[in-house]
Amino acid sequence: MVHALEEIHRLLKQAGKLIDIHPVAEPSPIEIHLGEKIERVGDLSVRQWCSDYQHADEALTEIKQRGLFMIEREGIFNSLTYYDSAAEMRTDWKAAIDKFARDAQSIAESAPQAEAMAARVEELMQAAGSGAELIVGERVHISRLKPI
Amino acid sequence: MTIRTDPENNETRALLDMANFGGQHVLEIGCGDGRVTWLYADKAAHVTAIDPSAKLITLARQELPSHLQDHVEFHNATFEDFATASKPSAFDIVILSWSLC
Repeated sequence: MVHALEEIHRLLKQAGKLIDIHPVAEPSPIEIHLGEKIERVGDLSVRQWCSDYQHADEALTEIKQRGLFMIEREGIFNSLTYYDSAAEMRTDWKAAIDKFARDAQSIAESAPQAEAMAARVEELMQAAGSGAELIVGERVHISRLKPI
Repeated sequence: MTIRTDPENNETRALLDMANFGGQHVLEIGCGDGRVTWLYADKAAHVTAIDPSAKLITLARQELPSHLQDHVEFHNATFEDFATASKPSAFDIVILSWSLC
């Protein structure tokens, strides 16, 4: 990760900017919305993802300490994903786990956890009835860095 | 069935608030299917967007709007390979698009 940032430093013009966007290392809250009613179902917490996001934070800290980049500006925004059904969410999670997993062990760890949460969400969506909407939230860190 | 990600456009606002893309040569690392690319590409002078997934790059190319075809190019490449083949000081802005992980 730090090596990649060194390469980015080389590819950037002197007055260039690096913009990093990555999620905050924390579980993602899951909610069911029906009209004014909001039910908090639980959190999606994939250990590998949280660990990856922590490593990203650490890499940014390291390149600052090494004097490669300085942070000019940073912030956090909310990114919400809306699903019409639990099945839709389950398919999306499965694709994300397969895409971002580093190895088979990581899939073996993450998939059952996501599947268990999807099953719980499915039950609650059925109980909520038609018109219910499923929302997964994520806080995302964005920063602008200047090469030194 | 439609999955909607960030219909509130919080990411677009945050990104455009971070930099002025006008006239800039941009490298986006980890562009995936181009979801983030579409947020700023019409403002940039040129966008080079890379991703190691051939499947996602194919999707991004399919979705590339005609008005962006002249100044957005997608490459199926790892960053390591791309960087090795690239000249120094080539870009005004580099975006790590959910990819520093």
